[in-house]
Amino acid sequence: MRFSARLLLCAVAGGLIGTGGAIYSVRSGALGNQLTLGPWATGRDFGSSEASRYTRAVVALRGLLALPAREARYYNAVVDSAGAPLEGRCRYRLSGGALPAAWWSVTLYDPAGYLVPNAAGVYSVGSASLSPDEQRAWQVTIAPQPAPGRWLPTGNALRFELTLRTYLPIDGGQGEATAAQLPRIDKVGCA
Amino acid sequence: MIARWLAPLALGLFAALLAWHVTLAQMPYALMRLATARVAAAGGVNRMTHAPLVTAKSRAIVRPSPDLLYSSCPFNLAGGPVLIEVPAIAAPYWSLSVFDARTDTAFVRNVRAAPTGVRVALLGTGQQAPAGYVAVRPEGGRGIALLRVLIDRTHDFGMIDKARRAARCEVAAQR
Repeated sequence: MRFSARLLLCAVAGGLIGTGGAIYSVRSGALGNQLTLGPWATGRDFGSSEASRYTRAVVALRGLLALPAREARYYNAVVDSAGAPLEGRCRYRLSGGALPAAWWSVTLYDPAGYLVPNAAGVYSVGSASLSPDEQRAWQVTIAPQPAPGRWLPTGNALRFELTLRTYLPIDGGQGEATAAQLPRIDKVGCA
Repeated sequence: MIARWLAPLALGLFAALLAWHVTLAQMPYALMRLATARVAAAGGVNRMTHAPLVTAKSRAIVRPSPDLLYSSCPFNLAGGPVLIEVPAIAAPYWSLSVFDARTDTAFVRNVRAAPTGVRVALLGTGQQAPAGYVAVRPEGGRGIALLRVLIDRTHDFGMIDKARRAARCEVAAQR
């Protein structure tokens, strides 16, 4: 093989490997890969010009139009508090207390980042619909079938993700919540 | 034999690294163009489109919040400055954010900072903001302006919905 052909072959192969590797890496990347707090993963530079190329690409794919930390913090969970993947056929207890923000919500998504269809049309639970007393200590059942109290349906999803949004964080997005401040996700059982 | 491949392999390694960085750098632009096209398909460019309540059928933007009403304006500054007006909205929280072509946040203003509403002029190179407008210069001259309004889905939010539908987005030359 001629020298120029070897150069061309290796350059093309390298380019394809580099492009494919970058796409694979971003597609398999988690939203919020910078810090883990219990089951929740987060980052502080979403939607920011300070974000790394990799973080910006992952956020563009998994959470486009995310707000900067001073406005909102995003925490994403793909596992429960024991570290096991979140499964749609299982029942979980999501529980927490007051969060360090003006308001918050927890939304259930499929792995592609879209809401999961369910007959009840319930996709999230948030502080806006809780009484002040309940905001201090709240509990939600995540399950495919209706449950007493507050219920977040998993529909027919095999796997799901939870995204916790805290808007107007009281520290202005400068600090970091502790794992103890964030909701717990405890598996109760599986069908 | 191996020596004959050293230079080609070094070139291949360089090409791989270069392709890695270029791909990462370009992905946000590509995904923003895709999102802009999806949003524009619903209501056009340089116009505020007031999306209905998010459901499982919503596919325009990934990871939408069902606790928010969204109004969005995909903008292109090639035709002149784009002016956005958001009136006072009696919701516990609303914010107007402007995302540039690279997906970075160029501007955010929320209900606490602007309880009476906000007027923003999106400007390209050499363009000037009219009096009374906050000047914002998004990189790339394209992107999406997004109004988020908090609602409680378990209660009537008709008044909030009506108020946010008064938000406007248009090219300055058309006024």
